[in-house]
Amino acid sequence: MTAELPVFEPVTKEEASRIGTAPVPAGPYYQSDYFDAECEAVFRRSWLNVGHTCELPEPGDYIVRELEVANASLLITRNRDGLLKAFHNACTHRGTQLVSEPCGRRQVFSCPYHMWTFNSDGELRNAPDFDQFYVDKAELNLKPVAVDSCGGMLFINLNPNPAQSLRDYLGPLADQLETLPSARATTFSEYVYEIDANWKLTYDNFQENYHLRFIHPKTGAATSGKDNPFGYPLRYGFHDPHRTQTIWSNPQPQIQPFQMLAFGKGMQFAMQDGLVGSEQSKEYYAVFPNLFILGSPMQPFSHTVYPISATKSRGVIRIYWVGEDDCASRRFAREYAMGLARDIHSEDRAVIEAGQRGLNSGALTHIHFQAQEVLCRHLFNMVDERVQAYRAERQTGGAQ
Amino acid sequence: MNAANRLPAAFAELEPFVDQWCLATSNERTTARRNSTPEEREAFFNAGKVIAADALQLLDQKPLDQLDDKEQCLMSLLLSLAHVSLAVEIQGGDEARHALASQHMPITRSPSNPR
Repeated sequence: MTAELPVFEPVTKEEASRIGTAPVPAGPYYQSDYFDAECEAVFRRSWLNVGHTCELPEPGDYIVRELEVANASLLITRNRDGLLKAFHNACTHRGTQLVSEPCGRRQVFSCPYHMWTFNSDGELRNAPDFDQFYVDKAELNLKPVAVDSCGGMLFINLNPNPAQSLRDYLGPLADQLETLPSARATTFSEYVYEIDANWKLTYDNFQENYHLRFIHPKTGAATSGKDNPFGYPLRYGFHDPHRTQTIWSNPQPQIQPFQMLAFGKGMQFAMQDGLVGSEQSKEYYAVFPNLFILGSPMQPFSHTVYPISATKSRGVIRIYWVGEDDCASRRFAREYAMGLARDIHSEDRAVIEAGQRGLNSGALTHIHFQAQEVLCRHLFNMVDERVQAYRAERQTGGAQ
Repeated sequence: MNAANRLPAAFAELEPFVDQWCLATSNERTTARRNSTPEEREAFFNAGKVIAADALQLLDQKPLDQLDDKEQCLMSLLLSLAHVSLAVEIQGGDEARHALASQHMPITRSPSNPR
């Protein structure tokens, strides 16, 4: 076979320049006052991914999520009617954390301190010797948090009355997320990492391919080729505040013999499950502010970078699976796919931390993004717009 | 325990690898990969790669929850082989450097972990 392979054409420098060309200030990648403003301007006002609906499939199921960026512990339930609900995981008596287990199934939640008991709708149902209080029980329901899902991905908004619904917030991405394998997932593999690095610096690593050939010389072999040595994407898409890239893959990848066995099994099951051939299978979604989703049929994953402080973050990566392991070959293919994805992800952590150590001194006043790092620039633009608007809002408020 | 009787008879040549590689969880498997020597990984990979397809074919004949102890041990070896193959076949000489990075990324959930 000598069929002609399509020639790779990168996004041009001119096209990328519409997102900007100026150097980006380095301070927002390590300064704590900027981080504090981000917490308010971005993380308390955006829909944030905190999990997947398959974690609470039945009425009475619940999960608890710690969200350090807001100093919040969240309790997310599926109530008796099957609806998702979310609350601050804090008893409305004196603030005691209500639930300590990360997940489970129950209809009521009793505070260990004085046995105030709430149902899965957050209503205070019982409080011992309540006549001694000076308040109505109806005022003491758990403090609500907005919650919704799209394509299986579970989102919360710390504003109980968000400015936009989740679907409006996601815009054109919402319909696409519904078509991805993660929308049908019933279970997942998960690996996590803690990193001494700013959340944007961490996130940026995973939205530019410039580094691939240097940091992933072995595992990244399938993502580069003769006419695309850096493995740059085919296209970038901007759907403010979100962005996408269409991944290019080598039409003649070098696949090792044992890898072929695992990939063959994985492809067989992906086809059997109807996950192959989707238009979105090569789309890599960067959902503002801190979530990635990839629709690949064999390794569909999400990657959420949770900020902890200006220079510390946590990454949670999940590979989504449709149906339980039903036979040895499926289990084997999944183990291999997860292991390979984790090998690639784990190679980035050290160099991101090295980047943070270099920035922390303030020696660099600016960062220079090239055309193929345009998604990093776009993230900064989206964050900075919100931070500057928040600061202006504070100034105006302070002057009144 | 009889060290020569823990796998289905057709796969007895993998018995020497059971102690090191028959492990319950994905995180234990990747930890074993990281803590092993290059010689141990190569020996296991070379022995396992030639029987992997046949072993999967055998195990695929039953639902996973009906595998007997010997078949479960073989399944577990195949799952470890997936991790070890990444070290030998993909990373090669870079595995030592790679292991330093991978220790910071524990596997916290896997469908192959016991319920």
